[in-house]
Amino acid sequence: MPFGYLRIELLRMLRNKRYIIFVGAFPVIFYMINANLWGTQTIEGGVKADVFLMVSMGAYGALAASMMSTAVPWAQERQSGWLRQLQVTPLPNATIILTKLVSALMLVLPALLLVILAAVLTQGVSLTAGQWAALIPAMWLGTIPFAALGLVIGSLLPVDTAQPVAMLSMFALALLGGLWFPPEVMPATMKEIADVLPSFSYADIGWHLVSGEAVPPSDAVKVVIWAVVLGALAVFGYRRAVTRA
Amino acid sequence: MEAIAFTDVSKSYGDVLAVDGLDLSVRAGTTVALLGPNGAGKSTSVNMLLGLLRPTRGRVEVLGRSPDEAVARGEVGAMLQSGELIPELTVRETVDFVRRLYPDPLDLDEILAMADLAGLAKRRAGKLSEGQAQRVRFAMAVAGAPELLLLDEPTAAMDVESRLRFWAGMRDYAARGRTVLFATHYLQEADENSDRVVVIARGGVVADGTAAEIKAGVGGQAVHFTLGRQPAAGLDALPGVTAVGIQAGAATLQTTDADATVAALYRGTSLEVRDLRIAGADLEEAFLTLTRES
Repeated sequence: MPFGYLRIELLRMLRNKRYIIFVGAFPVIFYMINANLWGTQTIEGGVKADVFLMVSMGAYGALAASMMSTAVPWAQERQSGWLRQLQVTPLPNATIILTKLVSALMLVLPALLLVILAAVLTQGVSLTAGQWAALIPAMWLGTIPFAALGLVIGSLLPVDTAQPVAMLSMFALALLGGLWFPPEVMPATMKEIADVLPSFSYADIGWHLVSGEAVPPSDAVKVVIWAVVLGALAVFGYRRAVTRA
Repeated sequence: MEAIAFTDVSKSYGDVLAVDGLDLSVRAGTTVALLGPNGAGKSTSVNMLLGLLRPTRGRVEVLGRSPDEAVARGEVGAMLQSGELIPELTVRETVDFVRRLYPDPLDLDEILAMADLAGLAKRRAGKLSEGQAQRVRFAMAVAGAPELLLLDEPTAAMDVESRLRFWAGMRDYAARGRTVLFATHYLQEADENSDRVVVIARGGVVADGTAAEIKAGVGGQAVHFTLGRQPAAGLDALPGVTAVGIQAGAATLQTTDADATVAALYRGTSLEVRDLRIAGADLEEAFLTLTRES
Protein backbone atom coordinates (compact mmCIF):
# COMPACT_ATOMS: atom_id res chain seq x y z
CA MET A 1 0.00 0.00 0.00
CA PRO A 2 1.48 3.36 -0.94
CA PHE A 3 2.19 5.11 2.33
CA GLY A 4 1.83 8.52 0.68
CA TYR A 5 -1.82 7.90 -0.14
CA LEU A 6 -2.61 6.82 3.42
CA ARG A 7 -0.77 9.87 4.70
CA ILE A 8 -2.79 12.40 2.70
CA GLU A 9 -6.04 10.62 3.58
CA LEU A 10 -5.26 10.99 7.29
CA LEU A 11 -3.98 14.56 6.95
CA ARG A 12 -7.06 15.83 5.18
CA MET A 13 -9.48 14.41 7.75
CA LEU A 14 -7.46 15.71 10.69
CA ARG A 15 -7.54 19.18 9.10
CA ASN A 16 -11.30 19.12 8.64
CA LYS A 17 -12.88 21.18 11.44
CA ARG A 18 -16.35 19.65 11.17
CA TYR A 19 -14.87 16.21 11.46
CA ILE A 20 -12.73 17.11 14.47
CA ILE A 21 -15.70 18.61 16.29
CA PHE A 22 -18.04 15.68 15.62
CA VAL A 23 -15.51 12.95 16.17
CA GLY A 24 -12.93 14.39 18.54
CA ALA A 25 -14.86 16.81 20.72
CA PHE A 26 -18.49 15.60 20.93
CA PRO A 27 -17.90 12.11 22.36
CA VAL A 28 -15.55 13.46 25.02
CA ILE A 29 -17.94 16.28 25.97
CA PHE A 30 -20.91 13.86 26.15
CA TYR A 31 -18.83 11.57 28.26
CA MET A 32 -17.86 14.30 30.71
CA ILE A 33 -21.42 15.58 31.07
CA ASN A 34 -22.93 12.15 31.61
CA ALA A 35 -20.16 10.92 33.85
CA ASN A 36 -20.56 13.97 36.05
CA LEU A 37 -24.34 13.57 36.19
CA TRP A 38 -24.55 9.95 37.16
CA GLY A 39 -21.08 8.48 36.91
CA THR A 40 -20.90 7.35 40.51
CA GLN A 41 -24.05 5.23 40.30
CA THR A 42 -23.59 1.52 40.11
CA ILE A 43 -25.43 -0.33 37.41
CA GLU A 44 -26.38 -3.98 37.26
CA GLY A 45 -23.39 -6.26 37.39
CA GLY A 46 -21.72 -3.95 39.87
CA VAL A 47 -19.99 -1.76 37.30
CA LYS A 48 -19.83 1.95 37.92
CA ALA A 49 -21.63 4.07 35.36
CA ASP A 50 -18.54 6.07 34.43
CA VAL A 51 -16.87 2.86 33.23
CA PHE A 52 -19.97 1.75 31.36
CA LEU A 53 -20.22 5.22 29.79
CA MET A 54 -16.61 5.12 28.71
CA VAL A 55 -17.53 2.17 26.50
CA SER A 56 -20.74 3.82 25.22
CA MET A 57 -19.11 7.13 24.32
CA GLY A 58 -15.94 5.50 23.05
CA ALA A 59 -18.15 3.37 20.82
CA TYR A 60 -20.00 6.47 19.64
CA GLY A 61 -16.74 8.29 18.87
CA ALA A 62 -15.41 5.28 16.99
CA LEU A 63 -18.68 4.89 15.07
CA ALA A 64 -18.66 8.59 14.11
CA ALA A 65 -15.00 8.46 13.06
CA SER A 66 -15.47 5.42 10.86
CA MET A 67 -18.58 6.73 9.11
CA MET A 68 -17.66 10.40 8.79
CA SER A 69 -14.26 9.65 7.29
CA THR A 70 -15.80 7.43 4.62
CA ALA A 71 -19.33 8.18 3.34
CA VAL A 72 -19.34 11.86 2.42
CA PRO A 73 -15.66 12.30 1.50
CA TRP A 74 -15.91 9.25 -0.74
CA ALA A 75 -19.11 10.42 -2.45
CA GLN A 76 -17.48 13.81 -2.99
CA GLU A 77 -14.35 12.32 -4.50
CA ARG A 78 -16.38 10.25 -6.92
CA GLN A 79 -18.53 13.18 -7.98
CA SER A 80 -15.86 15.89 -8.10
CA GLY A 81 -13.54 13.97 -10.39
CA TRP A 82 -10.78 13.38 -7.83
CA LEU A 83 -11.29 9.63 -8.18
CA ARG A 84 -10.94 9.90 -11.97
CA GLN A 85 -7.70 11.77 -11.51
CA LEU A 86 -6.44 8.93 -9.32
CA GLN A 87 -7.60 6.39 -11.90
CA VAL A 88 -5.30 7.86 -14.55
CA THR A 89 -2.27 7.38 -12.27
CA PRO A 90 -0.60 3.98 -11.70
CA LEU A 91 -2.54 3.60 -8.43
CA PRO A 92 -4.56 0.33 -8.74
CA ASN A 93 -8.30 0.48 -8.04
CA ALA A 94 -8.09 -2.16 -5.30
CA THR A 95 -5.48 -0.09 -3.48
CA ILE A 96 -7.75 2.94 -3.48
CA ILE A 97 -10.61 1.26 -1.61
CA LEU A 98 -8.26 -0.65 0.70
CA THR A 99 -6.47 2.56 1.65
CA LYS A 100 -9.82 4.19 2.38
CA LEU A 101 -10.69 1.38 4.76
CA VAL A 102 -7.32 1.40 6.49
CA SER A 103 -7.34 5.18 6.88
CA ALA A 104 -10.85 5.02 8.39
CA LEU A 105 -9.58 2.47 10.91
CA MET A 106 -6.54 4.59 11.71
CA LEU A 107 -8.84 7.55 12.40
CA VAL A 108 -10.98 5.47 14.77
CA LEU A 109 -8.08 4.96 17.14
CA PRO A 110 -7.61 8.58 18.33
CA ALA A 111 -11.38 9.06 18.66
CA LEU A 112 -11.60 5.99 20.86
CA LEU A 113 -8.49 6.79 22.89
CA LEU A 114 -9.63 10.35 23.62
CA VAL A 115 -12.73 9.10 25.43
CA ILE A 116 -10.72 6.48 27.30
CA LEU A 117 -8.18 9.13 28.26
CA ALA A 118 -10.94 11.41 29.53
CA ALA A 119 -12.36 8.54 31.57
CA VAL A 120 -9.02 7.67 33.11
CA LEU A 121 -7.92 11.23 33.79
CA THR A 122 -11.17 12.83 34.96
CA GLN A 123 -13.09 9.90 36.49
CA GLY A 124 -10.17 7.80 37.60
CA VAL A 125 -11.44 4.78 35.69
CA SER A 126 -9.09 1.87 36.05
CA LEU A 127 -9.15 -1.57 34.48
CA THR A 128 -6.74 -4.48 34.65
CA ALA A 129 -4.04 -4.70 32.01
CA GLY A 130 -5.81 -7.72 30.54
CA GLN A 131 -9.09 -5.80 30.27
CA TRP A 132 -7.43 -2.89 28.45
CA ALA A 133 -5.61 -5.31 26.17
CA ALA A 134 -8.92 -6.90 25.17
CA LEU A 135 -11.08 -3.77 25.16
CA ILE A 136 -9.04 -1.48 22.90
CA PRO A 137 -8.45 -3.92 20.00
CA ALA A 138 -12.06 -5.15 20.19
CA MET A 139 -13.48 -1.64 20.06
CA TRP A 140 -11.03 -0.69 17.34
CA LEU A 141 -11.52 -3.55 14.89
CA GLY A 142 -15.22 -3.77 15.72
CA THR A 143 -15.71 -0.60 13.64
CA ILE A 144 -15.03 -2.44 10.35
CA PRO A 145 -18.79 -2.86 9.65
CA PHE A 146 -19.34 0.90 10.10
CA ALA A 147 -16.44 1.89 7.87
CA ALA A 148 -17.76 -0.55 5.26
CA LEU A 149 -21.25 0.95 5.60
CA GLY A 150 -19.79 4.41 5.07
CA LEU A 151 -18.07 3.24 1.89
CA VAL A 152 -21.29 1.61 0.66
CA ILE A 153 -23.16 4.90 1.15
CA GLY A 154 -20.37 6.87 -0.50
CA SER A 155 -20.18 4.51 -3.48
CA LEU A 156 -23.88 4.28 -4.23
CA LEU A 157 -25.27 7.73 -3.42
CA PRO A 158 -24.54 11.24 -4.71
CA VAL A 159 -23.12 13.72 -2.17
CA ASP A 160 -26.45 15.48 -1.53
CA THR A 161 -28.06 12.21 -0.49
CA ALA A 162 -25.02 10.58 1.08
CA GLN A 163 -24.74 13.40 3.61
CA PRO A 164 -28.16 12.98 5.28
CA VAL A 165 -28.19 9.20 4.85
CA ALA A 166 -24.82 8.87 6.56
CA MET A 167 -25.90 11.18 9.40
CA LEU A 168 -29.20 9.36 9.90
CA SER A 169 -27.53 5.95 9.82
CA MET A 170 -24.95 7.10 12.30
CA PHE A 171 -27.49 8.52 14.74
CA ALA A 172 -29.82 5.56 14.33
CA LEU A 173 -26.97 3.15 14.99
CA ALA A 174 -25.91 5.17 18.04
CA LEU A 175 -29.39 5.60 19.48
CA LEU A 176 -30.82 2.15 18.74
CA GLY A 177 -27.53 0.49 19.58
CA GLY A 178 -27.84 1.83 23.12
CA LEU A 179 -24.80 4.12 22.93
CA TRP A 180 -26.68 7.18 24.17
CA PHE A 181 -29.16 5.54 26.54
CA PRO A 182 -28.48 2.20 28.14
CA PRO A 183 -30.45 -0.56 26.43
CA GLU A 184 -32.04 -1.43 29.79
CA VAL A 185 -34.25 1.67 29.61
CA MET A 186 -35.41 0.93 26.04
CA PRO A 187 -38.94 -0.24 25.29
CA ALA A 188 -39.21 -3.88 24.21
CA THR A 189 -39.48 -3.24 20.44
CA MET A 190 -36.43 -1.01 20.47
CA LYS A 191 -34.54 -3.68 22.32
CA GLU A 192 -35.42 -6.18 19.62
CA ILE A 193 -34.11 -3.83 16.97
CA ALA A 194 -30.98 -3.15 19.00
CA ASP A 195 -30.33 -6.84 19.21
CA VAL A 196 -29.75 -7.20 15.47
CA LEU A 197 -27.80 -3.97 14.96
CA PRO A 198 -24.01 -4.16 14.71
CA SER A 199 -23.68 -1.12 16.96
CA PHE A 200 -25.35 -2.87 19.90
CA SER A 201 -23.33 -6.08 19.56
CA TYR A 202 -20.20 -3.98 19.16
CA ALA A 203 -20.77 -1.95 22.33
CA ASP A 204 -22.06 -5.00 24.18
CA ILE A 205 -18.66 -6.65 23.70
CA GLY A 206 -17.09 -3.63 25.40
CA TRP A 207 -19.64 -3.55 28.24
CA HIS A 208 -18.98 -7.20 29.01
CA LEU A 209 -15.23 -6.70 28.93
CA VAL A 210 -15.28 -3.83 31.45
CA SER A 211 -17.61 -5.81 33.73
CA GLY A 212 -15.11 -8.61 33.75
CA GLU A 213 -17.68 -10.95 32.19
CA ALA A 214 -17.20 -13.33 29.31
CA VAL A 215 -18.22 -11.84 25.98
CA PRO A 216 -21.32 -13.58 24.58
CA PRO A 217 -20.20 -15.39 21.40
CA SER A 218 -23.37 -14.20 19.65
CA ASP A 219 -22.11 -10.58 19.87
CA ALA A 220 -18.85 -11.42 18.17
CA VAL A 221 -20.59 -13.54 15.54
CA LYS A 222 -23.03 -10.73 14.73
CA VAL A 223 -20.25 -8.15 14.32
CA VAL A 224 -18.35 -10.50 12.02
CA ILE A 225 -21.45 -11.26 9.93
CA TRP A 226 -22.16 -7.53 9.56
CA ALA A 227 -18.53 -6.92 8.61
CA VAL A 228 -18.68 -9.60 5.91
CA VAL A 229 -22.05 -8.49 4.51
CA LEU A 230 -21.25 -4.77 4.50
CA GLY A 231 -17.73 -5.44 3.28
CA ALA A 232 -19.09 -7.39 0.31
CA LEU A 233 -21.57 -4.58 -0.40
CA ALA A 234 -18.73 -2.06 -0.23
CA VAL A 235 -16.74 -4.02 -2.81
CA PHE A 236 -19.82 -4.26 -5.03
CA GLY A 237 -20.51 -0.53 -4.67
CA TYR A 238 -16.90 0.32 -5.38
CA ARG A 239 -16.82 -1.84 -8.49
CA ARG A 240 -19.92 -0.05 -9.71
CA ALA A 241 -18.33 3.33 -9.01
CA VAL A 242 -15.17 2.61 -11.01
CA THR A 243 -16.71 0.62 -13.86
CA ARG A 244 -15.48 1.69 -17.23
CA ALA A 245 -18.29 2.24 -19.68
CA MET B 1 7.16 4.59 -32.86
CA GLU B 2 3.48 5.42 -32.59
CA ALA B 3 2.55 6.99 -29.27
CA ILE B 4 -1.15 6.83 -30.08
CA ALA B 5 -3.03 4.61 -32.50
CA PHE B 6 -6.79 4.59 -33.04
CA THR B 7 -7.80 1.90 -35.54
CA ASP B 8 -11.37 2.22 -36.81
CA VAL B 9 -12.62 3.21 -33.38
CA SER B 10 -16.27 3.90 -32.66
CA LYS B 11 -17.91 4.73 -29.38
CA SER B 12 -21.62 5.07 -28.83
CA TYR B 13 -23.66 6.02 -25.80
CA GLY B 14 -27.01 4.37 -26.40
CA ASP B 15 -28.16 5.76 -29.75
CA VAL B 16 -25.63 8.58 -29.83
CA LEU B 17 -22.49 7.92 -31.83
CA ALA B 18 -19.81 10.05 -30.17
CA VAL B 19 -16.86 8.69 -32.14
CA ASP B 20 -17.43 7.24 -35.58
CA GLY B 21 -14.75 5.09 -37.22
CA LEU B 22 -11.81 7.17 -35.99
CA ASP B 23 -8.42 6.38 -37.51
CA LEU B 24 -5.60 8.40 -36.08
CA SER B 25 -2.00 7.78 -35.22
CA VAL B 26 0.48 10.09 -33.57
CA ARG B 27 4.25 9.62 -33.77
CA ALA B 28 6.15 9.79 -30.51
CA GLY B 29 7.63 13.18 -29.74
CA THR B 30 5.05 15.31 -31.52
CA THR B 31 2.59 17.80 -30.12
CA VAL B 32 -0.86 17.39 -31.57
CA ALA B 33 -3.93 19.58 -31.16
CA LEU B 34 -7.26 17.82 -31.32
CA LEU B 35 -9.44 20.65 -32.49
CA GLY B 36 -13.19 20.55 -32.70
CA PRO B 37 -16.44 22.09 -31.50
CA ASN B 38 -18.20 20.88 -28.36
CA GLY B 39 -19.63 17.43 -28.88
CA ALA B 40 -17.18 16.53 -31.64
CA GLY B 41 -15.86 13.53 -29.70
CA LYS B 42 -12.68 15.05 -28.27
CA SER B 43 -13.20 14.10 -24.63
CA THR B 44 -14.51 10.67 -25.56
CA SER B 45 -11.33 10.05 -27.57
CA VAL B 46 -9.09 11.26 -24.73
CA ASN B 47 -10.95 9.12 -22.20
CA MET B 48 -10.54 6.06 -24.42
CA LEU B 49 -6.77 6.71 -24.51
CA LEU B 50 -6.83 6.61 -20.71
CA GLY B 51 -8.89 3.46 -20.42
CA LEU B 52 -11.65 5.41 -18.70
CA LEU B 53 -13.95 4.52 -21.60
CA ARG B 54 -13.93 1.38 -23.71
CA PRO B 55 -14.45 1.64 -27.47
CA THR B 56 -17.64 0.06 -28.79
CA ARG B 57 -15.66 -1.07 -31.82
CA GLY B 58 -12.07 -0.90 -33.03
CA ARG B 59 -8.76 -0.75 -31.20
CA VAL B 60 -6.96 1.89 -29.17
CA GLU B 61 -3.26 1.56 -28.46
CA VAL B 62 -1.02 3.76 -26.36
CA LEU B 63 2.76 3.37 -26.73
CA GLY B 64 2.17 -0.03 -28.27
CA ARG B 65 0.07 -1.34 -25.38
CA SER B 66 -3.48 -1.28 -24.13
CA PRO B 67 -4.43 2.01 -22.44
CA ASP B 68 -4.88 0.24 -19.06
CA GLU B 69 -1.38 -1.19 -19.23
CA ALA B 70 0.19 2.11 -20.24
CA VAL B 71 -1.58 3.90 -17.37
CA ALA B 72 -0.59 1.22 -14.84
CA ARG B 73 3.05 1.51 -15.92
CA GLY B 74 3.00 5.25 -15.36
CA GLU B 75 3.63 6.08 -19.01
CA VAL B 76 0.64 8.37 -19.35
CA GLY B 77 -0.21 11.59 -17.56
CA ALA B 78 -3.50 13.38 -18.01
CA MET B 79 -5.32 16.55 -17.18
CA LEU B 80 -9.01 15.76 -17.43
CA GLN B 81 -11.66 18.32 -18.21
CA SER B 82 -12.87 18.52 -14.63
CA GLY B 83 -11.57 17.30 -11.34
CA GLU B 84 -11.55 19.01 -8.00
CA LEU B 85 -8.66 18.83 -5.60
CA ILE B 86 -8.81 17.85 -1.93
CA PRO B 87 -9.42 21.24 -0.25
CA GLU B 88 -7.53 20.44 2.98
CA LEU B 89 -4.26 19.56 1.22
CA THR B 90 -1.64 22.05 0.12
CA VAL B 91 -0.45 22.36 -3.47
CA ARG B 92 2.89 20.81 -2.54
CA GLU B 93 1.30 17.86 -0.71
CA THR B 94 -1.06 17.16 -3.59
CA VAL B 95 1.59 17.26 -6.31
CA ASP B 96 4.12 15.32 -4.25
CA PHE B 97 1.56 12.61 -3.49
CA VAL B 98 0.85 12.13 -7.20
CA ARG B 99 4.50 12.19 -8.29
CA ARG B 100 5.36 9.46 -5.82
CA LEU B 101 2.85 7.13 -7.47
CA TYR B 102 5.06 7.01 -10.59
CA PRO B 103 8.20 4.92 -10.99
CA ASP B 104 10.46 7.66 -12.32
CA PRO B 105 8.97 11.08 -11.58
CA LEU B 106 10.28 14.59 -12.11
CA ASP B 107 11.81 16.53 -9.27
CA LEU B 108 9.14 18.26 -7.16
CA ASP B 109 10.59 21.77 -7.44
CA GLU B 110 11.00 21.32 -11.16
CA ILE B 111 7.31 20.41 -11.49
CA LEU B 112 6.20 23.36 -9.40
CA ALA B 113 8.33 25.71 -11.50
CA MET B 114 7.02 24.29 -14.78
CA ALA B 115 3.41 24.72 -13.66
CA ASP B 116 4.17 28.18 -12.26
CA LEU B 117 3.20 27.10 -8.75
CA ALA B 118 6.37 27.79 -6.79
CA GLY B 119 4.74 30.75 -5.02
CA LEU B 120 1.61 28.75 -4.17
CA ALA B 121 3.24 25.56 -2.88
CA LYS B 122 2.05 26.02 0.71
CA ARG B 123 -1.47 27.13 -0.11
CA ARG B 124 -4.38 24.80 0.60
CA ALA B 125 -6.18 23.66 -2.54
CA GLY B 126 -9.48 24.94 -1.16
CA LYS B 127 -8.13 28.49 -1.29
CA LEU B 128 -7.03 28.44 -4.94
CA SER B 129 -8.78 30.22 -7.80
CA GLU B 130 -10.13 28.05 -10.60
CA GLY B 131 -7.21 29.01 -12.84
CA GLN B 132 -4.68 28.17 -10.12
CA ALA B 133 -6.37 24.83 -9.49
CA GLN B 134 -6.01 24.08 -13.19
CA ARG B 135 -2.29 24.70 -12.95
CA VAL B 136 -2.15 22.21 -10.08
CA ARG B 137 -3.94 19.68 -12.28
CA PHE B 138 -1.35 20.32 -14.97
CA ALA B 139 1.39 19.73 -12.40
CA MET B 140 -0.29 16.44 -11.43
CA ALA B 141 -0.36 15.42 -15.10
CA VAL B 142 3.36 16.00 -15.72
CA ALA B 143 4.54 14.93 -12.23
CA GLY B 144 5.30 11.34 -13.20
CA ALA B 145 7.33 12.37 -16.27
CA PRO B 146 4.94 10.46 -18.57
CA GLU B 147 5.90 9.60 -22.15
CA LEU B 148 2.47 10.70 -23.26
CA LEU B 149 0.74 13.77 -21.85
CA LEU B 150 -2.99 14.18 -22.53
CA LEU B 151 -4.70 17.51 -21.87
CA ASP B 152 -8.45 17.85 -22.26
CA GLU B 153 -9.46 21.52 -22.72
CA PRO B 154 -6.68 22.53 -20.35
CA THR B 155 -7.19 26.30 -20.37
CA ALA B 156 -10.98 26.41 -19.99
CA ALA B 157 -11.08 28.48 -16.78
CA MET B 158 -7.87 30.46 -17.21
CA ASP B 159 -7.47 34.16 -17.87
CA VAL B 160 -5.25 35.41 -20.69
CA GLU B 161 -2.15 35.76 -18.53
CA SER B 162 -2.52 32.24 -17.06
CA ARG B 163 -3.04 30.82 -20.54
CA LEU B 164 0.20 32.23 -21.83
CA ARG B 165 2.10 30.82 -18.87
CA PHE B 166 0.30 27.52 -19.15
CA TRP B 167 1.30 27.02 -22.78
CA ALA B 168 4.87 28.00 -21.96
CA GLY B 169 4.89 25.19 -19.37
CA MET B 170 3.38 22.74 -21.86
CA ARG B 171 5.97 23.59 -24.53
CA ASP B 172 8.67 23.23 -21.90
CA TYR B 173 7.44 19.70 -21.25
CA ALA B 174 7.05 18.83 -24.94
CA ALA B 175 10.61 20.03 -25.58
CA ARG B 176 11.85 17.06 -23.52
CA GLY B 177 10.90 14.81 -26.41
CA ARG B 178 7.55 13.76 -24.96
CA THR B 179 4.35 13.29 -26.90
CA VAL B 180 1.57 15.72 -26.10
CA LEU B 181 -2.01 15.61 -27.28
CA PHE B 182 -4.35 18.38 -26.25
CA ALA B 183 -8.02 18.84 -27.01
CA THR B 184 -9.28 22.36 -27.55
CA HIS B 185 -11.93 24.37 -29.28
CA TYR B 186 -9.71 27.43 -29.35
CA LEU B 187 -8.19 27.67 -32.81
CA GLN B 188 -5.49 30.08 -31.82
CA GLU B 189 -4.25 27.68 -29.15
CA ALA B 190 -4.10 24.86 -31.66
CA ASP B 191 -2.31 27.09 -34.15
CA GLU B 192 0.30 28.39 -31.73
CA ASN B 193 1.12 25.35 -29.64
CA SER B 194 1.12 22.29 -31.86
CA ASP B 195 3.15 20.66 -34.62
CA ARG B 196 0.03 19.17 -36.07
CA VAL B 197 -3.66 20.02 -35.95
CA VAL B 198 -6.26 17.27 -36.22
CA VAL B 199 -9.71 18.74 -36.76
CA ILE B 200 -12.51 16.46 -35.66
CA ALA B 201 -16.22 16.89 -36.09
CA ARG B 202 -19.09 14.50 -35.60
CA GLY B 203 -16.75 11.86 -34.23
CA GLY B 204 -14.31 11.69 -37.12
CA VAL B 205 -11.25 13.42 -38.57
CA VAL B 206 -12.18 16.13 -41.09
CA ALA B 207 -8.73 17.66 -41.56
CA ASP B 208 -5.22 16.77 -40.52
CA GLY B 209 -2.03 18.73 -41.03
CA THR B 210 -0.14 21.79 -39.89
CA ALA B 211 -2.20 24.89 -39.16
CA ALA B 212 -0.93 26.43 -42.43
CA GLU B 213 -1.97 23.43 -44.48
CA ILE B 214 -5.44 23.48 -43.05
CA LYS B 215 -5.86 27.16 -43.80
CA ALA B 216 -4.67 26.63 -47.37
CA GLY B 217 -7.04 23.72 -47.90
CA VAL B 218 -10.10 25.86 -47.36
CA GLY B 219 -10.81 28.45 -49.99
CA GLY B 220 -13.59 30.96 -50.03
CA GLN B 221 -14.23 34.11 -48.11
CA ALA B 222 -16.02 35.18 -45.03
CA VAL B 223 -18.64 37.87 -44.60
CA HIS B 224 -18.74 39.36 -41.12
CA PHE B 225 -21.43 41.69 -39.79
CA THR B 226 -23.18 42.64 -36.59
CA LEU B 227 -26.45 40.81 -36.22
CA GLY B 228 -27.29 41.93 -32.72
CA ARG B 229 -30.44 40.30 -31.46
CA GLN B 230 -31.99 39.75 -34.85
CA PRO B 231 -32.88 36.18 -35.75
CA ALA B 232 -30.27 34.16 -37.65
CA ALA B 233 -32.80 31.93 -39.39
CA GLY B 234 -32.40 31.81 -43.15
CA LEU B 235 -28.79 33.03 -43.26
CA ASP B 236 -27.60 29.56 -44.21
CA ALA B 237 -29.92 29.60 -47.22
CA LEU B 238 -28.34 32.68 -48.80
CA PRO B 239 -26.51 32.05 -52.07
CA GLY B 240 -22.92 30.84 -51.72
CA VAL B 241 -23.08 30.34 -47.96
CA THR B 242 -21.45 27.16 -46.72
CA ALA B 243 -21.46 27.80 -42.98
CA VAL B 244 -22.91 30.22 -40.46
CA GLY B 245 -21.29 31.15 -37.18
CA ILE B 246 -22.90 33.45 -34.61
CA GLN B 247 -21.04 34.59 -31.55
CA ALA B 248 -22.12 37.35 -29.20
CA GLY B 249 -24.28 38.97 -31.86
CA ALA B 250 -21.56 38.87 -34.53
CA ALA B 251 -22.34 36.77 -37.57
CA THR B 252 -19.78 35.11 -39.84
CA LEU B 253 -20.92 33.63 -43.14
CA GLN B 254 -18.50 31.35 -44.98
CA THR B 255 -19.16 31.74 -48.66
CA THR B 256 -17.90 30.65 -52.03
CA ASP B 257 -19.30 33.82 -53.60
CA ALA B 258 -19.06 36.88 -51.38
CA ASP B 259 -20.71 39.21 -53.94
CA ALA B 260 -23.82 37.07 -54.28
CA THR B 261 -24.04 36.55 -50.55
CA VAL B 262 -23.80 40.26 -49.73
CA ALA B 263 -26.27 41.21 -52.44
CA ALA B 264 -28.79 38.71 -51.13
CA LEU B 265 -28.16 39.78 -47.57
CA TYR B 266 -29.25 43.34 -48.38
CA ARG B 267 -31.97 42.63 -50.93
CA GLY B 268 -33.31 39.28 -49.86
CA THR B 269 -33.62 39.78 -46.11
CA SER B 270 -35.17 42.40 -43.89
CA LEU B 271 -32.18 42.35 -41.53
CA GLU B 272 -30.48 45.53 -40.47
CA VAL B 273 -26.89 44.79 -41.44
CA ARG B 274 -24.16 46.81 -39.72
CA ASP B 275 -20.35 46.71 -39.69
CA LEU B 276 -20.12 44.60 -42.84
CA ARG B 277 -16.66 43.28 -43.62
CA ILE B 278 -15.38 40.72 -46.12
CA ALA B 279 -12.19 38.75 -45.38
CA GLY B 280 -10.21 35.79 -46.67
CA ALA B 281 -10.38 32.57 -44.69
CA ASP B 282 -8.25 32.37 -41.58
CA LEU B 283 -7.94 29.31 -39.38
CA GLU B 284 -11.09 30.25 -37.53
CA GLU B 285 -13.03 30.29 -40.75
CA ALA B 286 -11.37 27.16 -42.02
CA PHE B 287 -12.44 25.52 -38.81
CA LEU B 288 -16.03 26.65 -39.14
CA THR B 289 -16.17 25.41 -42.70
CA LEU B 290 -14.73 22.04 -41.79
CA THR B 291 -16.86 21.40 -38.76
CA ARG B 292 -20.21 22.71 -39.94
CA GLU B 293 -23.19 20.45 -39.64
CA SER B 294 -23.76 18.79 -42.97
